[in-house]
Amino acid sequence: MPLDRGRRHAWVAVQSSSLGAAAARRRLLACPRVEDKGKNNIRATIIVHRRKAMPVRVAESSVPSQIPGSCSGQTSPPACTLLSVGQAFSGTQNVSSVQKDEAWRVNVRIQGCDLEHGYLCGTMEALNVPMADTPVVTFWEGEIVDTKNYTFFTGKWEATPEDDIRHWTKFPSFSSLLSQVESDGGKSLDLSNYPYIFMQDSNHFVPHLAMQRWKEQYFVNVGTDCGLTIAGFYYVCFSCSDGSINGFYYDPNSSPFQKLELKSTNEGLSGFSFSSYELQ
Amino acid sequence: MPTPSATSNRPEDVILRLCSLETEVKFKALRELKNQIIGNRTKKLSYVKLGAVPAVVSALSLSADAGDFAGLVQASAVIGSFACGLEAGVRAVLDAGAFSLLFRLISHHYDHKVVDAVARSLRMIYRSKLAPKYDLVQKENIDFLLSLLNSESENLTGLGASIITHSCQTTIDQKALCEAGALKKLLSLLEGSLNQRDASLESLSTIIRSNPDVSSEFMEADSGRAFRTICELTKDRYPRTRLLASMCLIAMWNTSPSYPQDAGLRTKLILVLLELLDEPGQVGDEAPFALSSLVARKEDLQKLAFEAGFVDRLSNHLRKGPLQAKRMQGIFLALADVCSKLEACRSRLLSLEILKLIAEALTHESSEVQVAACICLQSVSRSVKSLSAGLFLNEMLVIPLLQLLNGASAPVQVAALRAISNIVVEFTTRKSTFVQCGGVKQLVHLAKSMDPTIRLNAVWVLRNLVFLADNRCKEEILLELTPSMLSSLICDPEPPVQQQALGFVRNLVDGSIDSIGFIFTEDAIILHAVGRQLRSTSKDEVCVQGMYVLGNVASGNEFHKESVLQQLLPSADSYNQCVLVKFLRSSDNGLRTAAAWTVVNLTFHGCPGAYRRLVKLRNAGVYSQIKNMISDPCLDVKLRVKTALVQSMTFGDSSS
Repeated sequence: MPLDRGRRHAWVAVQSSSLGAAAARRRLLACPRVEDKGKNNIRATIIVHRRKAMPVRVAESSVPSQIPGSCSGQTSPPACTLLSVGQAFSGTQNVSSVQKDEAWRVNVRIQGCDLEHGYLCGTMEALNVPMADTPVVTFWEGEIVDTKNYTFFTGKWEATPEDDIRHWTKFPSFSSLLSQVESDGGKSLDLSNYPYIFMQDSNHFVPHLAMQRWKEQYFVNVGTDCGLTIAGFYYVCFSCSDGSINGFYYDPNSSPFQKLELKSTNEGLSGFSFSSYELQ
Repeated sequence: MPTPSATSNRPEDVILRLCSLETEVKFKALRELKNQIIGNRTKKLSYVKLGAVPAVVSALSLSADAGDFAGLVQASAVIGSFACGLEAGVRAVLDAGAFSLLFRLISHHYDHKVVDAVARSLRMIYRSKLAPKYDLVQKENIDFLLSLLNSESENLTGLGASIITHSCQTTIDQKALCEAGALKKLLSLLEGSLNQRDASLESLSTIIRSNPDVSSEFMEADSGRAFRTICELTKDRYPRTRLLASMCLIAMWNTSPSYPQDAGLRTKLILVLLELLDEPGQVGDEAPFALSSLVARKEDLQKLAFEAGFVDRLSNHLRKGPLQAKRMQGIFLALADVCSKLEACRSRLLSLEILKLIAEALTHESSEVQVAACICLQSVSRSVKSLSAGLFLNEMLVIPLLQLLNGASAPVQVAALRAISNIVVEFTTRKSTFVQCGGVKQLVHLAKSMDPTIRLNAVWVLRNLVFLADNRCKEEILLELTPSMLSSLICDPEPPVQQQALGFVRNLVDGSIDSIGFIFTEDAIILHAVGRQLRSTSKDEVCVQGMYVLGNVASGNEFHKESVLQQLLPSADSYNQCVLVKFLRSSDNGLRTAAAWTVVNLTFHGCPGAYRRLVKLRNAGVYSQIKNMISDPCLDVKLRVKTALVQSMTFGDSSS
């Protein structure tokens, strides 16, 4: 999808590119695959998790305002301390299928955040992946749906606008945006004060971490029908209120709607802690 | 008394003959010397060391007194030759007093051959940065300069242009020249000979640079004809003309970025400059600097340059080596600029194995090359993706970088520190590589520097190094730095140093209860320094870091939270003295957010002393302020305020 530089931005969506050609095509494939009978004939396994309730409701700002008149203005994306560098999240990635329910424990750490370019990145660590005796660490990059750099329509990675709408509507917080997104892609929305940030992201294996070894185990111990891939990407919704993250994995060749569910972690502390770095 | 042989060409003999009282002998010696040194840098340097230049200047002076025109022409030519392309030669010429003598001659002499020779000589001197500035504010000087530009002689117009190129530095200079008609005259010289055209292009760049008024006068001159002429000259058959015309357009675009809006022309310019990289000598050396100036701080142009193969072409040149120091410097700087904003450029450059070439350049004999390599490394290491992949923190780069910190000049140290500050942002366990190489010891040493820039950058590295570091690494760093020195840095006279020092403490105490313990070492000297600084500073950016320190400490246990409260409410109940209320009222979103988080942490649900602290905060006026912020324009602040209020309500304290 071409950049839409003249639009306001306030939501956040995440998409990616690979660290290396070889690594780019690996991601955990849900197994076994199940035929989706939908019009796109997508093969997928379905995982659905309920959204985590927020401790604090922000009712008055839950409906985003529309920008009157022209859409050429730019608002800063919502800076949210819970989505800043160094922040950690933990939860589960569900990989359910008709045969079994399965959930991997997942830790995520934000490593880079460039709101100006709608960019976010970090690592994801899956702890109890079957057939992997070390945690599987992946590097991901995200595109923030800010209607300036990125819109709700992915326009790549084999995702059609219908796929986009089908995934975004999985998030209850998206319902108030649906009609506007359907009419103009959400370009006239001012999302700068919306308490949710929408993202798309996809994983990349970090070549120097455990996956190097894990890669070897994968090819030795795992069949091609039940392996790892990073071909797809996640549709992600981040709650600025409590730092919870919900995501749905999309890959035409994987189970649909595999759910990622994460909570902001304070790592045993009685409160929230924030670190930072500054690049020169 | 031995007399020099009339026929010996030994330098010592030639110099002796220069001092001869016989005009003919002196003339021949001057001619011999001119023939020996022309285009021969080694010979020039050798004669400079033997003291030939004062002898030549003396010959010039004597010839002037004696009305010896031939001697004047020869002596002027020799002086010009010494000044051509050799800084030591320029210095010797200036030290021998040639400059004022030549200027007197050109101002008052009537013989056109003498004047031409002197003009050529002065032009050579004006090519050097060492040449004295010509005062362009004096009216008589401007008049003289215009008389040079209006001359029929190519050498005189060339000299006039050279003086402008060298001496026009301020907006006042540019305005004075334009008002005197220099811009129009220079534009007319574009129609002249090759030398006049090139000299004019160089001067035009100088008087346009950073002056929108002159730039627009230039654009509108002759209904845009001058601009079109310069665009055409970027396609000239002579490489130097193409380079100078390109630099003129770059000066114009850097001054008036919006005009003309022609991406095609800019792409063509990038291609012209990329081709000039293949040229030998000065043109090829200067082309990367022009590219650097074209793309610096301009993301749209960096994208165009990337698409035009900028990264590949420049890195190919580096790989082909060996290159002259100046060209290497220019290429590294141009690569740094093109990678400054775009991840695509960084990824491409890294895929071309630039890091090995950077590592080699870090040990280059030229400090300019070392600095340029550091700047290039600083730029490519802005890639978080590559930082995460651990591409930078290895011995190949760390060891030469640390060597640069040790005993190099201040500019090299600062450049190295800036590169290091990026590469230590590591997300794995490789931070220990830096510590094991002795990096922390050197940083701590530099953090004591009297030079505030070095001090700032050293602390900056430490702040980034401690980001997400494990406790063992943090402990080693604090042991080297010591709590008392850290306290001094928090209270440094320079606010940017205070900010980085507080950023360091913020990262130091982040992560776990054990990490928070670091701030309580040596009777909590660090915590007290943070509290003192927060109460005394007026800089928001310093306060933000300080509040995050306290907020992070307040995420710990009861003792930690109480200690933070003591810092925030040292004199109990005085409303006006409560620094927390002051920060909650700040106009800075970041500071209000940090302050709100601190309140959230101090009253965190489930903590035994939360209610007691809430009461103290309420008595200090914090909750009155918090309630006023329920509709804060900053979403982040509003959400944290709501969290704080929801927490207070769990105590059944609706009055708060």
